[in-house]
Amino acid sequence: MEETLQASTNYKLEFNGKGNDFFSVIIVNWLLTILTLGIYYPWAKARKLQFLYGETSLNGDSFSFHGTGKEMFKGFVKALLIITVLYSVFFLFIYLKTPFLGIAILYLGILAILPFAIHGSYRYRMSRTSWRGIRFGYRGDRNEFTLSFFKWLFFTIISFGIYGSWMSINMRNYLLGNIRFGDVEFNSEGDGGDYFLLNLKGYFLTVFTLGIYGFWWQKELFEYYINNLSLNKGKEEIALNSTVTGGGFFKLAIVNILIIIGTLGIGYAWVVTRTMKYIFDNIELEGNIDLNLLTQTEENYKDATGEDISDFLDMDFVM
Amino acid sequence: MIEKTIGIFFDGISAIPQEIELIFDKEKSVFLFETINGNQYCWKFEAVTCDIKSNQMYLQHGSDPIQNIKISDIDFVNNMNHFRKKKGSLNWYQKLMDMGIKAHILFTVFIFAIIGVGYFYAIPWVAEKAVVIIPEDYDSNLGTAFFEQNMLFRDIDTDKTKTLNLFAEELNLKNTKKLKFTVVDSPIVNAFALPDGNIIVFSGILKSMKSYDELVGLIGHEVAHVNHRHSMKMLCRNLSGYLFVSAILGDANGVMATIGDNVNSLQSLSFSRKFEHEADMEGFEILSLNKVNPKGMSNLFERLQSEDVISIPEFLSSHPVTSERITYINGLIKMKPFYFKENSKLKRLKRLFLEIKN
Repeated sequence: MEETLQASTNYKLEFNGKGNDFFSVIIVNWLLTILTLGIYYPWAKARKLQFLYGETSLNGDSFSFHGTGKEMFKGFVKALLIITVLYSVFFLFIYLKTPFLGIAILYLGILAILPFAIHGSYRYRMSRTSWRGIRFGYRGDRNEFTLSFFKWLFFTIISFGIYGSWMSINMRNYLLGNIRFGDVEFNSEGDGGDYFLLNLKGYFLTVFTLGIYGFWWQKELFEYYINNLSLNKGKEEIALNSTVTGGGFFKLAIVNILIIIGTLGIGYAWVVTRTMKYIFDNIELEGNIDLNLLTQTEENYKDATGEDISDFLDMDFVM
Repeated sequence: MIEKTIGIFFDGISAIPQEIELIFDKEKSVFLFETINGNQYCWKFEAVTCDIKSNQMYLQHGSDPIQNIKISDIDFVNNMNHFRKKKGSLNWYQKLMDMGIKAHILFTVFIFAIIGVGYFYAIPWVAEKAVVIIPEDYDSNLGTAFFEQNMLFRDIDTDKTKTLNLFAEELNLKNTKKLKFTVVDSPIVNAFALPDGNIIVFSGILKSMKSYDELVGLIGHEVAHVNHRHSMKMLCRNLSGYLFVSAILGDANGVMATIGDNVNSLQSLSFSRKFEHEADMEGFEILSLNKVNPKGMSNLFERLQSEDVISIPEFLSSHPVTSERITYINGLIKMKPFYFKENSKLKRLKRLFLEIKN
């Protein structure tokens, strides 16, 4: 046993998607979404995610996204109902000539569903993702997360936003730390204080250098997120390591902007695939977990309501 | 007919790759294979989904557990694709995807055409029609709110305001709303109408006028904006244009959204041209209706364009190219020859005009 613990294994994370193929996915999605007056949207989203996950591989085997348009459509309808109820209450108060109360209720309502939406989208997204047939999973507890969320939010408000750094890192640690990849656990060990200093430094240097440092700031943030992430299985571990550079981000951003402007937006597909490729090419995995020994532990979860609310509120998914 | 290849099987319980010899029986439409520990599998073709992911084919079976076979053998993959096509088991989505880049570029052109038609024709048309639903109260509230906010720090000339209102009362302006004119003491050469019937005229534009018929032309033009609810129509068009652009580009990034916004404001510029033209036409009619020389309208524009106006006339910068307008108004005058003779009403207008001007 001692020997297997020492043995280090090779891992290779790759993004293989081609801009041309993604372009086809996007265009067919657009066409169908327009022709169906938007109803196709959840299916389009499923197709897009299926493509992006499928073109990402670990040790030569693709990830899969099993979410379907039908699941997301159901979630979409539920999310729409919730948002509609919130807005109806808002307009009711406007009608009753108490707009401020209406706005307060709308904002509080959105705030209140936020943790549920985040929790729901993690459960859904993770449960519908697999590699070699082994599902990912999210084991966070909804009530615990909701309680923590409001506690962090409270501190953030009374500290005039300063605690925001701790809030986002604590949240990240909680969400990512509860992800399972079969019987392998994810682990995120960021610290709000470090994150705060990183952003403070990044902000001032970016201002002083008229924005140029922004790319290095982005590099440091990415590095911070990735380097604090690890996978554990008992005593075995895989550490993640970022090799992105500020110059790399700079080049990526400049070329992306040129593509978008030069093609009047049609080049969006290539921008996405280039970015994905750059990111996955620059994440190194190192450790001694034997991925062949992963076993299925996570259950299916097909409710996409949280996922769709997050989509409505335009929130980006972290992983 | 039997196809054979080597595949990697994942049983959905562990991540151990198991090399298998996969047999595909075309006649029976089944996949057959045996794992190293002697388990035999028979998958019906209909129960298997085929996907190309990261340049390899994955045959997926079942949902709990999900079992997979990965195939890298290009010949087998091609054979499978051919078989699927023949069997008609490719769904419409895959058919759309398989049409190739040329067809997809064609789709793009088609989508852009739809967006273009929607944006330049459908949306403005619907938005303008939708104005009917919005109660006129709303126009009034909007205008009044704007008036109260903007007039607070303006220097209102009470005497001239009174006289201008008397001047307007002499005219038939085809108005449905009660009109209220206000003269603001300012060198700005401009006038504008609010949706509630408030019309603000700056003394700068009054000073530059030489004859009462020019003032009638200006009033006619501004009143037409009120009568046709141009402000509300513009608001609806801009808002729906903005919503349309952001809905379409919702998926794209900031750069695209900015481009979209600018396109939208360009569009509203040409919208306003259409409305200005409409207002000129009706202003012209109002002049004729009141038996005032319609030449007043083109004279006004010519005067604004000429150099003896010292400050830059804002009326021109916010309105369409003036020489064009002069030309079409003169054209109208030629088309509808017009005779007028002095009467007591015109005398009163002249007297009031002189009072306002000084």
